[in-house]
Amino acid sequence: MKRFKILAPMAIAFLMTGCVEQPKPLYNYGDYSDSYYASKKNVCTESSLELQKSIEKCIENTDGTLSGRVPPGMYANLGYIYLKGGNSKDAISSFTKEKTMYPESAHFMDRMIKKIEIAQGPKNDN
Amino acid sequence: MTIKNLYKISILILMTFLFSGCLGKGPSYTTKAEEFPKMYDQKPRSILILPPMNESTDAEAKDYYMTTVEIPFASMGYYTFPVEMVSDIMKQEGVYDTELLYNMPLTKFYDYFGADTVLFTNISKWDISYAVIASSLTVSIDARIVSTKTSEELWKYTGTVVVDLSGGDTGGGIAGLIAKVVIAAINTAASDYVKHAHTANRRLIYTLPFGPYHDKYLLDQDMKFLDQTPKS
Repeated sequence: MKRFKILAPMAIAFLMTGCVEQPKPLYNYGDYSDSYYASKKNVCTESSLELQKSIEKCIENTDGTLSGRVPPGMYANLGYIYLKGGNSKDAISSFTKEKTMYPESAHFMDRMIKKIEIAQGPKNDN
Repeated sequence: MTIKNLYKISILILMTFLFSGCLGKGPSYTTKAEEFPKMYDQKPRSILILPPMNESTDAEAKDYYMTTVEIPFASMGYYTFPVEMVSDIMKQEGVYDTELLYNMPLTKFYDYFGADTVLFTNISKWDISYAVIASSLTVSIDARIVSTKTSEELWKYTGTVVVDLSGGDTGGGIAGLIAKVVIAAINTAASDYVKHAHTANRRLIYTLPFGPYHDKYLLDQDMKFLDQTPKS
């Protein structure tokens, strides 16, 4: 009798909810997709800045996600923006973070870092 | 009906729901492991997403679509290489043409990026039809994940998604119908393509086995889905 009291509502609950479930997302992308699209559609400084902002937000805000991690490729994206802006030091630092978080990227990130170092010349003073 | 009977029925209902998961009854189902055994054999960890080939009549479909591929594949638990950066790097290496890219030896993607697999996508249709009753966007996409080590196809999807563009009910009468068409036209304003592409992707990705960053990694072999092979 007691068990019935517990099970009956559960059964009803299953029937009522059907297949609706709202799992936590693995990563938090924020408005990255939208700003990525906008930056493709409208190539200008403003849209690139927006994209950079949304990437930075992705990196800062991993709350409420299943993984608690920065999404794959985000540090690389940011590093590439730094690189295009001539900021080699921060680019290397971001590429290194990508590599540390996702070892799958190590080969590619090492290649990028090496490229930067070669471009900087033999003297590694910046 | 006695309490005992009710109790039995409750248990039965519960069991059915627990075991069947969310699947309805249908004609022909297959499982992820049956359909894509090589994904479980080779256990790829990373996917290099290449720019899509665009065979549709919409010249801009490729640009729209490209911005939407990364998130779903990453959310399935794979390491996805940064799409925009990769596409830029390829250009720097002198590969401008998608067709050229699609004919490159697969080992090159492994040598250069260290990618386990490459994702090829082909947009074969991206059509909007405006109609009085229901306007819709039809998207047909083929997607293939191919191993860079063995050149084997590990996963594929072929499908058409029809997205209803009629923005809600606008009331009856001719005025209402005209309003509907206007709404459809507004709804298909370029920025919404992204939204529709996301809808298409959700359907597309459903059969993909989970990757190493997902908590169901290697636990979804028996997950069922509608067998699409006969339709092709």
